[in-house]
Amino acid sequence: MTEAKKEKFIVPIGPQHPALKEPGNFEFTVDGEIVTDATVRLGFVHRGIEKACETRNYTQDMYLLERVCGICSHVHATAFVLGVEKLAGVQAPPRAEAIRVLAAELERIHSHLLWFGVAAHEAGFDTLFMYTWRDREVVMDILETLSGSRVHYSVNILGGVKIDIDQKLSDLIKKDMDFLEERTEHYMKVVTTDETFLGRTRGIGTLSRDRAKLLGAVGPTARASGVKRDVRVNAPYSGYKEFPVKMVIDQTGDLEARFVVRLKELYESYRLIREILEKIQPGEISTRIKRKIPEGEVISRVEAPRGELFYFIKSNGTEMPDRVKVRTPSLCNWGTITDVAVGHKLADMPMLLAGIDPCFSCNDRMVEIRSDSQPSQMMNWDGLRKYGIEYYK
Amino acid sequence: METIKFLESGKLILEKWIERSQTTEENRLDIWISTANLKPAVQSLVEIRWGYLITITGLDIPPVRDQDNNELQPGQLEALYHFANDADIITIRVKVPYSKPQIDSICEIIPSATIYEREVIELFGFDLLNTPNTEKLILPDSWPEGVYPLRKSFTNLQDLVTSNKEQSND
Repeated sequence: MTEAKKEKFIVPIGPQHPALKEPGNFEFTVDGEIVTDATVRLGFVHRGIEKACETRNYTQDMYLLERVCGICSHVHATAFVLGVEKLAGVQAPPRAEAIRVLAAELERIHSHLLWFGVAAHEAGFDTLFMYTWRDREVVMDILETLSGSRVHYSVNILGGVKIDIDQKLSDLIKKDMDFLEERTEHYMKVVTTDETFLGRTRGIGTLSRDRAKLLGAVGPTARASGVKRDVRVNAPYSGYKEFPVKMVIDQTGDLEARFVVRLKELYESYRLIREILEKIQPGEISTRIKRKIPEGEVISRVEAPRGELFYFIKSNGTEMPDRVKVRTPSLCNWGTITDVAVGHKLADMPMLLAGIDPCFSCNDRMVEIRSDSQPSQMMNWDGLRKYGIEYYK
Repeated sequence: METIKFLESGKLILEKWIERSQTTEENRLDIWISTANLKPAVQSLVEIRWGYLITITGLDIPPVRDQDNNELQPGQLEALYHFANDADIITIRVKVPYSKPQIDSICEIIPSATIYEREVIELFGFDLLNTPNTEKLILPDSWPEGVYPLRKSFTNLQDLVTSNKEQSND
């Protein structure tokens, strides 16, 4: 028993993360090639935002919370704004709600394409990575034209939105959606037919429906395992009441399913954006809201590109919240990694990690490979990625 | 329709433990229970597969003092266990005093709760009994013991930053 234990290696990966450009630390205990245990250490980009919110007013908090994440900034502001509006008893005008959804779906497109590129890169498929990121620029340009900014678009204000769309912009977006849809068709073909790629995804990291439910998986990770969890459908908020979406579900639960689900969600986003542009009604885009928010507690949930984003806001009747609690989707999905990793090859780890679309500043984390009883064998993320690619050559 | 059904089924199963309940929004039910009943309550929700644990929110209720700085009400911590089933949310709430901030860990029932439990231990100073992992999750390893950043009494990082610098010099 003791001897067998000695042969086990703990492989630490991170916190420097050349591939993901974000810090996180994982430790995989390996027995030969097979992973027997996995842990995660977060906090490398912890910024104390929840605490900082308590000393700023609601408007400042909205901008601060938008900076929780540089990929899904809009959903953070939306979740917060919807909660505060509920506390204040204010309803944003329908046009504002539609624009919020429009921005959220554009954000989903950019986020999914970004993830797709990163995942392709982890698999050693850099051509695909280049193509997806090139196409992602199309949606980034739309966001920039729409709001003046590529990353923190700050579309929301308390009580509505601050940007509007006109006919010219609407035509431009529609044209771009057609282009992106065509590209997505191509990616779908690659993901489901390219043998090299399928070698890294099909039947790997399978998460059963029951496991996914028990582990509290959310977003595309859960939906790829057949769990019907999508806040946009389960509890429609903002403009999703008027513009419903269809939930994309896959029963397979492996890495390939996670690719397919995200790509199918792109189609749904294109469709929804076209529908909004067709049907959006003229009208006001914001309404007045008092600086002091009445006392109370509110829960606000929205569907971020990575899954359910949860906000708990407690107001004490002043201009500043008493408590803001943020639970980001990546945090839930980490549990699935530490669970699924066991029994897989070390070479599969980069793809497994990429499969949940981890967002580090959302939760903040890294990977590390360390030896238990023998001299430490350090492996950085890049090293592990190369190891994975070499292994499957 | 479904909203009412889910909330009622949840309320029914938890009924015997409820000390106080409140509905602030139509899809929400907040219930206060004693700490001893937390595990059985969570167990019963999981048994009937009532949704999933979204997260655990910690709240700090600082001590209430009169003008002479006498403690009228001791400081308390509150833990909120949010469970979601479609649009419905049941929040199980337990309150503990600063002096004895002990709550049973629910990781036996919901293993993925460990990450949320580690978070409230670090940031609020809860004492989760029998929780499988108490290692630091978010705060730096050099963070001083007994300093809980999300308590209202914590306002300044200055001293901590200085002492960390001194440590790294040697």
